[in-house]
Amino acid sequence: MKKSINRIFTLTSRNLKEIIRDPLSLLFMIGLPIFMEIFFYFIFHKLTSQFEMKYLAPGIVVFSQAFLSLFMGMLISLDRNTSFLTRLFVSEAKPYEFIFSYTLALIPICLVQSVLFFVIGGIIDSSIFRINMILAILLSLVTSFLFIGIGILLGSLCNEKSIGGVSSLVIVCQSVLSGMWFPLEGMSEGFLSVMKVLPFKNMTMIVQNSLNGYLNLFDDLLLPIIIVISYTIVIFILSIFIFKKKMKSN
Amino acid sequence: MEAIKTINLCKEYKDTLAVNDLNLEIHEGELFALLGVNGAGKTTTIKMLTGLTKPTSGDGYIYSYSINDEMEKIKSLIDISMQETAIARKLTVEENIEFYAKINGKKKEEVQKIKKELNDTFNFEKVYKKISSKLSGGWQRKLSIALSLVSNPKILFLDEPTLGLDVLSRRDLWKVISSLKGKVTIVLTTHYMEEASFLADRIGIMKDGKLLFKGTKEELYKATNKDNVEESFVSIVEGE
Repeated sequence: MKKSINRIFTLTSRNLKEIIRDPLSLLFMIGLPIFMEIFFYFIFHKLTSQFEMKYLAPGIVVFSQAFLSLFMGMLISLDRNTSFLTRLFVSEAKPYEFIFSYTLALIPICLVQSVLFFVIGGIIDSSIFRINMILAILLSLVTSFLFIGIGILLGSLCNEKSIGGVSSLVIVCQSVLSGMWFPLEGMSEGFLSVMKVLPFKNMTMIVQNSLNGYLNLFDDLLLPIIIVISYTIVIFILSIFIFKKKMKSN
Repeated sequence: MEAIKTINLCKEYKDTLAVNDLNLEIHEGELFALLGVNGAGKTTTIKMLTGLTKPTSGDGYIYSYSINDEMEKIKSLIDISMQETAIARKLTVEENIEFYAKINGKKKEEVQKIKKELNDTFNFEKVYKKISSKLSGGWQRKLSIALSLVSNPKILFLDEPTLGLDVLSRRDLWKVISSLKGKVTIVLTTHYMEEASFLADRIGIMKDGKLLFKGTKEELYKATNKDNVEESFVSIVEGE
């Protein structure tokens, strides 16, 4: 057991280094969201309320997490295709240790993203500095697990050439189906119903409502949390199953 | 003493018999080169012996441990360097060695010793602090092989270790592999006949999953009436 825990931490440290030493991952996970947070606020916040910082900062936090899927997927896909995982599998490392280590490696990155984007938002509009910000940061960790799970799943399924394109779909879905970049008024009932059952809008709602408060605890916070956690559990079970299968077939 | 022994080892995929009744003995400390054209069953054999895939029937023994039932015990005795360069790309050479030593449960003092030994064998000084992805192909492959020695294996599987390298890098790696002879049992697969000729103590030739020949170079020349490994290989594979 002790050996297994040591291996998980060793792998976690390696995975974290692999991601943060890639300038592109820092650009997309940190740089681009900061630019968008500042740019969209100053251009649009007087035109439409959804770009006020109290909505924009939580939206940016969740949007930036979508890139976790991309870079997690790329890391796993490359590890598979270069036989790095095969080599470790021949040693005494177990598949569950890999899954833990990939997941744990991204948690500090998620925390940095949340704290950074909220602090920048707070510097621009100090009204969002409130005690609820701590709750929003903590709940943003819950939403991040879904993106991490999707990254592990896609990295297990795709090769290094297709992973970029497929992961980009997750980012597009988070952009389009979260409802944070355009007003929902006037949209068809059918489209809104789809958005409600998919996780993307629910993830944004969790972080926005935990920061700004809610009218109805169940509908505005608990139900989105239940939906997102349900997706996360399903995606993680699928990821573990496919990851193990691919490890053997590789 | 036999380090590896297989008895009627078979692996079948859907409609292909990848390895067919393989009976092989590899002695402790020798370098055994497994030759064959693509799809001959070399890599599948290695995958079975390293626990990456299960045999369909038959069994294999690594120091008397069965690959069917005792793979966990076998894992501490073996290591592998695949044909792809299996390294952590954004870690330095030094960090890669430390990482792989820790994964194999080595303690701090052991890690220092391993680093020194690998440095002596592979001359990593010039590239020690460099990020691995920025190294040349030759250095990356050297690192990949060095990592497979970190666990101090009794048996090392080298699956086409010099594939795609230029002639100088290949010769450089041959020197390294030669220096390991006798210290560790090595099973090497390769498409380069001169590599097998230069490195191997004994040679096995596979075709369509079957082992057609096993023996020393001299025995190979005698069996085929040729005077080099390449001609002998062609003769056996084409059934002359």
